Amino acid sequence: MPQGDYIELHRKRHGYRHDHFERKRKKEAREVHKRSQIAQKALGIKGKMFAKKRYAEKAQMKKTLAMHEESSTRRKVDDDVHEGAVPAYLLDRETTTRAKVLSNTIKQKRKEKAGKWDVPLPKVRPVAEDEMFKVIRSGKRKTKQWKRMVTKVTFVGPSFTRKPPKYEHFIRPTGLRFTKAHVTHPELRCTFNLEIIGVKKNPNGQMYTSLGVVTAGTIIEVNVSELGLVTPAGKVVWGKYAQVTNNPENDGCINAVLLV
Amino acid sequence: MVQYNFKKITVVPTGTDFIDIILSRTQRQTPTVVHKGYAISRIRQFYMRKVKYTQQNFHDKLSTIIDEFPRLDGIHPFYGDLLHVLYNKDHYKLALGQINTARNLIGKVAKDYVKLLKYGDSLYRCKALKVAALGRMCTVMKRIAPSLAYLEQIRQHMARLPSIDPNTRTILICGYPNVGKSSFINKITRADVDVQPYAFTTKSLFVGHTDYKYLRYQVIDTPGILDRPFEDRNIIEMCSITALAHLRAAVLFFLDISGSCGYSIAQQAALFHSIKSLFMNKPLVIVCNKTDLQPLEGISEEDMKLVMEMKAEAMKTVIGQGGEPTSEEGVLLTMSTLTEEGVSAVKNAACERLLDQRVELKMKSKKINDCLNRFHVAMPKPRDQKERLPCIPQAVLEARAKKAEEAAEKEKRKLERDLENENGGAGVYSADLKKSYILANDEWKQDIMPEILDGHNVYDFIDPDILQRLEELEQDEGLRQEQGADDDLEMDGEEMTPEEQEALAEIRKKKSLLIQQHRIKKSTAESRPTVPRKFDKDRKFTSKRMGRQLSDLGLDPTFAINRARSISRGRKRERSLDRTDDGADAMDVDAAQPNKKLRMRSLSRSRSRSRPPSEVVPGEGFRDSAQKVKALKIAKKSVKKRNKDARRGEADRVIPSLKPKHLFSGKRSIGKTQRR
Repeated sequence: MPQGDYIELHRKRHGYRHDHFERKRKKEAREVHKRSQIAQKALGIKGKMFAKKRYAEKAQMKKTLAMHEESSTRRKVDDDVHEGAVPAYLLDRETTTRAKVLSNTIKQKRKEKAGKWDVPLPKVRPVAEDEMFKVIRSGKRKTKQWKRMVTKVTFVGPSFTRKPPKYEHFIRPTGLRFTKAHVTHPELRCTFNLEIIGVKKNPNGQMYTSLGVVTAGTIIEVNVSELGLVTPAGKVVWGKYAQVTNNPENDGCINAVLLV
Repeated sequence: MVQYNFKKITVVPTGTDFIDIILSRTQRQTPTVVHKGYAISRIRQFYMRKVKYTQQNFHDKLSTIIDEFPRLDGIHPFYGDLLHVLYNKDHYKLALGQINTARNLIGKVAKDYVKLLKYGDSLYRCKALKVAALGRMCTVMKRIAPSLAYLEQIRQHMARLPSIDPNTRTILICGYPNVGKSSFINKITRADVDVQPYAFTTKSLFVGHTDYKYLRYQVIDTPGILDRPFEDRNIIEMCSITALAHLRAAVLFFLDISGSCGYSIAQQAALFHSIKSLFMNKPLVIVCNKTDLQPLEGISEEDMKLVMEMKAEAMKTVIGQGGEPTSEEGVLLTMSTLTEEGVSAVKNAACERLLDQRVELKMKSKKINDCLNRFHVAMPKPRDQKERLPCIPQAVLEARAKKAEEAAEKEKRKLERDLENENGGAGVYSADLKKSYILANDEWKQDIMPEILDGHNVYDFIDPDILQRLEELEQDEGLRQEQGADDDLEMDGEEMTPEEQEALAEIRKKKSLLIQQHRIKKSTAESRPTVPRKFDKDRKFTSKRMGRQLSDLGLDPTFAINRARSISRGRKRERSLDRTDDGADAMDVDAAQPNKKLRMRSLSRSRSRSRPPSEVVPGEGFRDSAQKVKALKIAKKSVKKRNKDARRGEADRVIPSLKPKHLFSGKRSIGKTQRR
């Protein structure tokens, strides 16, 4: 078995093969044809994947070409001022606008009182009852049909104990209980995995809110103490509301946007 | 013993490749068809299988990576340190740790999603969950893509590391750069290391093998070391240091006494003293190289002093091994790799000292007792004063003596060449050809052969027309033979009438025909099924032909033909009246009022009672019905005919339809024409 950089050593001693560069050139020239052959022959998912890759490459190529074109052509400079641009003498200042924050919190409090929020998902598809619940037959002959099992993701508080099965009207299966949510801070543009404190409101009805069902558009309260957010008064914010943006039962996780 | 082979680590695919491999495998190896109408448990199971299968594959592939890459703590410290020097232990461990974490994360994802799939209530939901699960697994893989790339690079580099066995007999060559280490290893092994006239040509360890006294020695060439603090040393130098520190080898410290390497003897001596702690307990040889430029005796006094100091140090290693302090050989040696002067002496000295040391170590170790227990040298005591010589049979002695004699003779035998040299050399000496003649009497050898003796010359005994005469003789013999053959036959054409002759020709013709036919039959007999005569494939046994042949023989064939036909034809059904001659009437009769007579008759004609075949009838000779059944079975079987006429049967290979409709019609979707 050769050791060390044996290929380099051989090239150093004897140079390249006499037809090395010719072969290389030919191989490169042939490559295009080979790829086109593959593109024509590939079937099924492989074909799709290959086509997608090729398409992306071509688009990229076009973009770069356009960019080079742009650099060589002369055009007018647009003097639009970007949003949030600051004059040079203000660059080092702290950017928090305290007054605004304050007004925001006041607004939020008012909204909360009115039970209305300015939320990222203002409208959601209503979920029918038979979609939400599965009827469970009970009784010795399985004739009674008063039991319901929630088929959506639920949040159940840590101190919850089930009722005795005989009286349990709504079953919230343990497999669908979630305690954490991926919450995105819209301004920081980053996501945290935060604990859920409670379900504030489910858009589908009061009953679902009390059951703790989490569907798209549900407002949940999350524990943001880890983020270190501070109220204008200087207290550490503990709980904050967030709206669920996905269908947790389909995705296997809760994604939410923090309401600020 | 552990073998260190890093060449067999499987390829680590890049992040995207990894994902492609696994996902396409899932696609290929798990079922792909599922419908809404299936029972929900079946749909759930379908998607759970996909999730679990993907996870399993990820797990397997990641596990092979984790298992196959060597654990730096577990391998020999030499390799552990070498890998640390080359790839940085922390980075290496981190990469493997990330792979391990990814494996666990993927396992957790799969577990979570399988749990959720159990609550899936529709195909859509199950599918969405599966997609999410696979997506999350792939995300995990994407995160470890840099680690995978790093490990792949390491794998490729490790495959090219020299396969050094840290436990075998090893000779280690070290010294300043450019002092001739690589030239030396090229001289004594087949390693073929690059030699160039600049420093640090050798950038890594190289290994070669050499033989000494029927034992194999591993020779390791190390990159040059500079004399500087340990922390400042670069990776290339650290390779050498690692080898020096961990291999129990004979160390050859190379000194360039000519100074053509760019470092003075003083500098080299300084290096020697700074790394001498690494030479502890190892046989050390100081080799003064490049004596073709500068012999050892010619160097200045200060340098000589330095060399002697080093020698003194090296002597300590000899003493440390328990050798005699006075034996100076094999400690300071001179050589020149250019002129190959002293190269083998250096090699021999190093091998010898290494071997001594290893034997010494073995003798000291605890295990030696296990070996010594097995040795026993028998020393029998003489029981009396009688001499007991070995008994050799006379025949053997004779044979030996003969052999010895022959050998001596062989040795003694004078060649013609020797004779030539003795008698004046080529040109003067003329070889005596006559002495090797093989004659009845040795005395005749030197006799002069006269040209003419008793009035005859050799030529007189030569017959010029002997060939012609031979031909004549042969002709004569041929004639006689022909006559003899005719006599045997006793049939001369002349003695026969023309009819007889004709008949004879006929007979002969027929005979030859028969022979031909037989030969054809014989040659093809093996390869075709035997068709019984009665099927008469070639229409050989027709009655027409029989008639022709019979008439040829002068017989009247009509009778024979008629007879043959009457048998083979079988009796045709005659136009005879039906047994129920009133059947026609019966048809006309209305069903409502059936013919009473007919009915009566049909009723009265009951089926005769048959005897079951197995019933034993006295006189048949069977013991009981079982025996009879058996006999009947055997009889039936023996009568059963084998399909010898090579007809088509159900066991034959058959192609039911050459153009199956389903392959040649209809809309074509994805796929090939021959598989739809």
